[in-house]
Amino acid sequence: MSFWNTFTAELRKAGTLPASWVAVAVTLFGSAGVTVLNAVAARTALDSGAQESQGFFSAFETAYAAVPLGTVGAVVLGVVVMSSEYAANSTDAGGGRQVTATLAASPRRAVLLAAKALTVVLFVGLTAAATIPACIGVARLVIGSGPPETVGLDDALVRSVGATLYWALTGLIALAITTLARSGIIPLVVLIANSSVVSFSLLLTHVTPLAHWLPDLAGRRLFVGLPTVDGGLDAGPGALVMGAWTFALLAVAGIVFSRRDA
Amino acid sequence: MTGKRLAHIAVAELGKLRTLPVAVMTTVGTAVIGALVAAALTAQLVDHGLPASAAAVTAQAVPFLQIGLILLGVLPMSHEHDGGQLRTTLTAVPRRGLLLAGKSIATLLCLALAASAAVGGVVAATALTGRLLDAPPAEDVAGQPVVGAAGYLVVVGLLAHAVALLVRSLIPALVGTLSLVLIVSPLLAGLTRHARWLPDRAARELYDPTDAVLTAATGTLVMLAWIALVGGIAAVLFVRRDP
Repeated sequence: MSFWNTFTAELRKAGTLPASWVAVAVTLFGSAGVTVLNAVAARTALDSGAQESQGFFSAFETAYAAVPLGTVGAVVLGVVVMSSEYAANSTDAGGGRQVTATLAASPRRAVLLAAKALTVVLFVGLTAAATIPACIGVARLVIGSGPPETVGLDDALVRSVGATLYWALTGLIALAITTLARSGIIPLVVLIANSSVVSFSLLLTHVTPLAHWLPDLAGRRLFVGLPTVDGGLDAGPGALVMGAWTFALLAVAGIVFSRRDA
Repeated sequence: MTGKRLAHIAVAELGKLRTLPVAVMTTVGTAVIGALVAAALTAQLVDHGLPASAAAVTAQAVPFLQIGLILLGVLPMSHEHDGGQLRTTLTAVPRRGLLLAGKSIATLLCLALAASAAVGGVVAATALTGRLLDAPPAEDVAGQPVVGAAGYLVVVGLLAHAVALLVRSLIPALVGTLSLVLIVSPLLAGLTRHARWLPDRAARELYDPTDAVLTAATGTLVMLAWIALVGGIAAVLFVRRDP
């Protein structure tokens, strides 16, 4: 099959997995829910006559604070695109795995992995394109039009793209680890833990400053302007380091995936 | 008679768990990673010139340990739904309520074993690291927070078991419980005081009693009520629906 056909096939597979849509819905409604809670707090402060400080009443800032949560959705998307291939079918139906059929249809494995990676990026990108504007809309609705928006359109766009990039890279890392592990358990546990307050990477920074070069910590300033731990790389170099990790992991996954038995 | 059958079922379920490689790896892995996390935390405390007591390090290590216990709690039920094993199980033990009781007992035993191993690993690693780094000896020898931490890990694992029974599949149960404990609960705790009624927040009183309303006993009761609620609904569905 041509790359385009493989890609559309992968898109259709991802689109018909219930787990993909659960991940999209959790990202969208989870972020929107947190935005509502933040915005209600801002509204209450505004009503009780608090002075404006540090863009607390900005609809964009309120919405943007909820965006890091969406990383979980990206992780799930990256994982299920690959782990669904390895899930064993019912023993009544032979107990087979989808990956054998997939590889029979597209024998060029590197191309297949590239198609899967593109699918993950597209899904994550579309989820971000729906989630971030929706959260900003919700925040504006709750806070009201009283306080002026302190974040310019350019700035807002750059920061949204940064967050989307972080999501996409995390999704790709999840895809690479799932391909290597042939199971979703390890990437889910590691990546969900690391995108929460209970982060193994964060713990490692107390042992060695080299831990700031781990992918999730290197890229954390892609959420431009959100408070984070001190030290480590800036947004630009951090994005490059995270991108390099992603590329390296995908390359290793591609080589392993090409060489071993399915 | 029923008691004897229940014991047989529990032993059979324990055998299944013992021969499930991922369950054994999770138990061992949690203890090993817990020890490494404890060593890192101890080194950090010693660096800042603070006494590294077993209680303090355990309290900080529990958020990491609970990940392993959640995975272990999810496994016994979700692996039955992997392929058609549940049908074989139900053929051998048609009384579903009894099967569920036996499975829950086996899960509880596994969780208790894993939690003890994990907390034991943390305490040992703390003592060893402290000795190696010539840390000032910690004065407190109170065992309560350490035992409480093991209890917390067991109830969190039971909650994961109940969730897995409800959703019948590994990935949703794992993602759901992990997200609740690692992301939703800290997030809501920052926004509202009512977050103390969340299961993991309430049970946290067992090893880190800081809440103004709940105590270790009432916090555990709140957690058990959550487990009973989720597990009760799941058990009714399990008994009534097609496998």
